[in-house]
Amino acid sequence: MVPLENYLVLSAVMFSLGVYGVLARRNAVLILMSVELMLNAVSINFVAFAAYLDPDKVLGAIFAVFIITVAAAEVGLALAIVIRLFRNRATSNVDEAASMKW
Amino acid sequence: MATEVLWWIFAAAIVGASAGVVFSRSVLHAAIFLIGSMAGVGAMYVFLTVEFLALVQFLIYGGAVTVLILLALMLTRRDAAGRPEPVNGPQLPFALLLGISLVTILVAVALDTAWGDSGEGPANIAIETISERMFTGFGVPFVLSSVLLLVALIGAIILARQEEGE
Repeated sequence: MVPLENYLVLSAVMFSLGVYGVLARRNAVLILMSVELMLNAVSINFVAFAAYLDPDKVLGAIFAVFIITVAAAEVGLALAIVIRLFRNRATSNVDEAASMKW
Repeated sequence: MATEVLWWIFAAAIVGASAGVVFSRSVLHAAIFLIGSMAGVGAMYVFLTVEFLALVQFLIYGGAVTVLILLALMLTRRDAAGRPEPVNGPQLPFALLLGISLVTILVAVALDTAWGDSGEGPANIAIETISERMFTGFGVPFVLSSVLLLVALIGAIILARQEEGE
């Protein structure tokens, strides 16, 4: 039997890798991929808590379903924005799209 | 026993693939590492005995999302010759610092807390249970999420469409 802590540590490592990726990368699509890593780490946590601790045994799984739905909508919109940015500025680097920076 | 060995293999694969996503020099390699990472998360759902979520994970993340990301990467490559552009920004050392401190804190909390689980392993979450709770307790969020998907679909089309005179 795999203890609950294993899942928590795995998801902590995955989430921190995602945070590093969001902060260190320049390409908008790479940042989006790091966000996906973070969302998946959170999903693992939800489902692990549901399977090990929740007497109801199901709430975490429902949350994971909603996370996947919202992440799918987010990916579609974000990639449309990246393609539009690339068409207007000929770049997909976030630090070159700084005309609204104060 | 075999389950634990398999679990460690898959966990190592997930961590390796996730590290590949954030550390690789090539954007296409990062996207291919992302497929491996998402498939590993699906395997974790199998270990947690939530087969429905594993299936959804393989279909949506392993299939749809990664294909969409690969497509966007290929549409937005600046250099047709394939010359690698710098993938990391100037804030890399701060990102490294924050990532390392975050993982230290999270792992310390996860290991120090007494979670009070029964010690009998993950309970099976059947697809019937998920659907019953989804449609009795979460009807409004379910409908709202379908509206969200529709709005995101239309918005993505409007954003990405070629306007006249461009």
